[in-house]
Amino acid sequence: MRRFRRQHLLGTTALIVAAIAALLLHRAFHRTLPDYAFVTGWILFAAMLVLAVYNARKKLPFLPLGNSESWLQIHIYLGFFTVLLFFIHLNFRLPRGWLDISLASLFALVAASGVAGLFLSRILPRRLSTRGGEVIHEQIAPLRHVLKTESEMIALGPAASSPAVAEFYTRRLAPFFAGPKNAWAHLFESRRPVHSLLAELEDLRRTGSEAERGALEKLADLVRRKDGLDYHRALQLTLKLWLFIHVPLTYALLIFTLAHIAIVFAFSGGAQ
Amino acid sequence: MNPANPGDNPAFEPGNYARPNQNWTCGRATEGQPCRAGPDAKGRCGAKAECRPRLEIKPGQTKGRWHCTRPEACESGPLPDGRCSRPVARCSPVPTLRLWRARASLAAVAAACAALLICLGVPPWRGRFISPGQLSQPHSSAAFAALASTNHLGGGCAACHVAGNSGPRGLMARAARARPGMGDFHGLLTASAAAPTRMDAACLECHAGKNFHHPAAPAISCVFCHKEHHGAAMAAATDAQCDFCHGNAATMSAVSAMPRIHHFATDHPEFRFIAEKWRDPDTLQFNHQLHLTSDSIPKLPGGRKLDCAFCHQPDASGAFMRPVNFERNCRVCHSLQFDPQTPELALPHGSVRFVTAFLHSLPAQYARLAKREGAADSDAFVQHKLAALRSQFGSGAELERRVFFSTATVGPEEQIGTLSGATRAVFPGCAYCHEVKAGPEGPEVTKPLMRERWLPDAKFSHASHAGIACARCHDAVESRDTADIILPPRETCLECHSPRGGVAHSCVECHNYHNPAPTVAAR
Repeated sequence: MRRFRRQHLLGTTALIVAAIAALLLHRAFHRTLPDYAFVTGWILFAAMLVLAVYNARKKLPFLPLGNSESWLQIHIYLGFFTVLLFFIHLNFRLPRGWLDISLASLFALVAASGVAGLFLSRILPRRLSTRGGEVIHEQIAPLRHVLKTESEMIALGPAASSPAVAEFYTRRLAPFFAGPKNAWAHLFESRRPVHSLLAELEDLRRTGSEAERGALEKLADLVRRKDGLDYHRALQLTLKLWLFIHVPLTYALLIFTLAHIAIVFAFSGGAQ
Repeated sequence: MNPANPGDNPAFEPGNYARPNQNWTCGRATEGQPCRAGPDAKGRCGAKAECRPRLEIKPGQTKGRWHCTRPEACESGPLPDGRCSRPVARCSPVPTLRLWRARASLAAVAAACAALLICLGVPPWRGRFISPGQLSQPHSSAAFAALASTNHLGGGCAACHVAGNSGPRGLMARAARARPGMGDFHGLLTASAAAPTRMDAACLECHAGKNFHHPAAPAISCVFCHKEHHGAAMAAATDAQCDFCHGNAATMSAVSAMPRIHHFATDHPEFRFIAEKWRDPDTLQFNHQLHLTSDSIPKLPGGRKLDCAFCHQPDASGAFMRPVNFERNCRVCHSLQFDPQTPELALPHGSVRFVTAFLHSLPAQYARLAKREGAADSDAFVQHKLAALRSQFGSGAELERRVFFSTATVGPEEQIGTLSGATRAVFPGCAYCHEVKAGPEGPEVTKPLMRERWLPDAKFSHASHAGIACARCHDAVESRDTADIILPPRETCLECHSPRGGVAHSCVECHNYHNPAPTVAAR
């Protein structure tokens, strides 16, 4: 934790210093340096490339390019700095024209999804730790299948002898065990759906026979474990799904940026 | 199993790693029973049989025998042809999140490329897609399109840009040939922002010359000052653009002795008419102080006091003042009545010849007056008037001399009424206001040289300053001499036109770069 704080302090300080330096340089040169927009554009593009290379770096773990954690830190702080570079490149004005507006919108979406991802990666793991349990995302489906099989054995298997439990299982529990449930409720930390289900189980248990009570207690235990799996799935999937916006839009942004560069030079005064 | 810890389920095999960095997983993995082979890289199921039997040929055998390769050999063993007798049911491999993300990325790339190809490849959309903003009104009008066509410029964007009509491939080619080029960072850093470019040639196809405001001014690109695509009104040049030359010591010393100037509010020199103590060369005698403050100045018809606005009236545009005119502004007081006893008769103004002719025809002038006033005896009326003049001036020659040359403000000459007769004004003689010289053919009156503009290259509008009292800028009440140039010093302008005054104070508020403005013409 102390190391993380030191990194955070170092990164934040470097970001603030770089931002101040960039703003001072902008103030000094934005009126005097010829082709200032070209210069800031190339710097912005270089920063965007470094940010995009992080994804490639993750796919090449065998190359001696520093550890992934350092790359992530650089990606985060450089990402924030790139947002400032973007505004400097725009000279703190709103973009005009369809191409520039498209480009700026893509940049805004990539930056916003990156910030959202950073927020999620800071919040959700903490929530998962607080909830307890560890499960790899890819193992959730097999585990769910195991729980489903167990619950079917209890409610409908050869040893089951209660029509009431079987009916309740078929009506209420079978859909619950069939697949992931209550993703939004888990994201918003609501346990209302599972509590409702457990309350129904408890009602049935109170009026059931001894054998039924035993089966229903086991089913309640499986329901809690399935709910735990659903919680992990919902949060872990969210931790992965934001990249479905961030990464594809980054590629689209790079392609639009390349088109923007070509068009800017083709339409510059020096175009031949 | 702890309900909060679903991972410790004994039914789950921790060693069965799901390989999330691969693109496909076994279709039965969700049932917790993935096959050992797993799908291949292309997502095809790799399951065939539980083992791959091994052929063992002992010495002396020709065919050999197939053996099961499972750790615990199955009961049935391999088939005679070497295939495993326990085939594994094939599954439909499932794409991992990684593959879905790669597909999403590919879709995004394809969509971006398609969007760009469509927007850049379809001519009607290309211009609208690329344009970084609205063109100025003149450059977006039908008249401009017609003129561009007449002058053999391309249509649409190509009227100004060489790449205007290029498709995606053409754009790339133009971009690659641009100077400074895409990879020429040194060129980008050192290029002169004001250097003329090829785009200037397109401007000059319609605009006849740049007409720089100084003959020795360095050649500057049109687009350095005239920023297009910034809305219907082309953006005005900024101080930074003027500063390119006027803030550069080397440039300024090469073309003029002017100091470096960055902003009007900071280091603009005092106006030249003050710094160089210019004097108005007009020969007309006029005392602003007297006319504005003296009690001896008669009231205007209606009892109105003479003020600035009576003589200085705006022109049709409201920007400048109409020239002061004798008939309109002076005669109301200075009626040029030369005969105190006959205020109805006044000298003509504007020509020595007319005045001389008038004086030489005085008997006829009096006779016409007698007729106009219905005098019973016209001859007696004329003789009476002439006798009175004779008694005052002695002779006709003396009268003529005094009319042209007298400057006396005392004596009988001042007893002359105004045109309205309500008050009086002096008429000592033409020389009281004009420079009158004795010439070989009679008096010569120097024509007044009333300069309309002292700063002809400066933009100014009185209409814009209508809310300000004249005296705040023009210190006329202190001026007693015609030679005074009653324009405000820079400090007076700075009271408003400066950051502290809050009114616009850029160079182009007053100055024109082009002198005169370039005309637009068809070739």
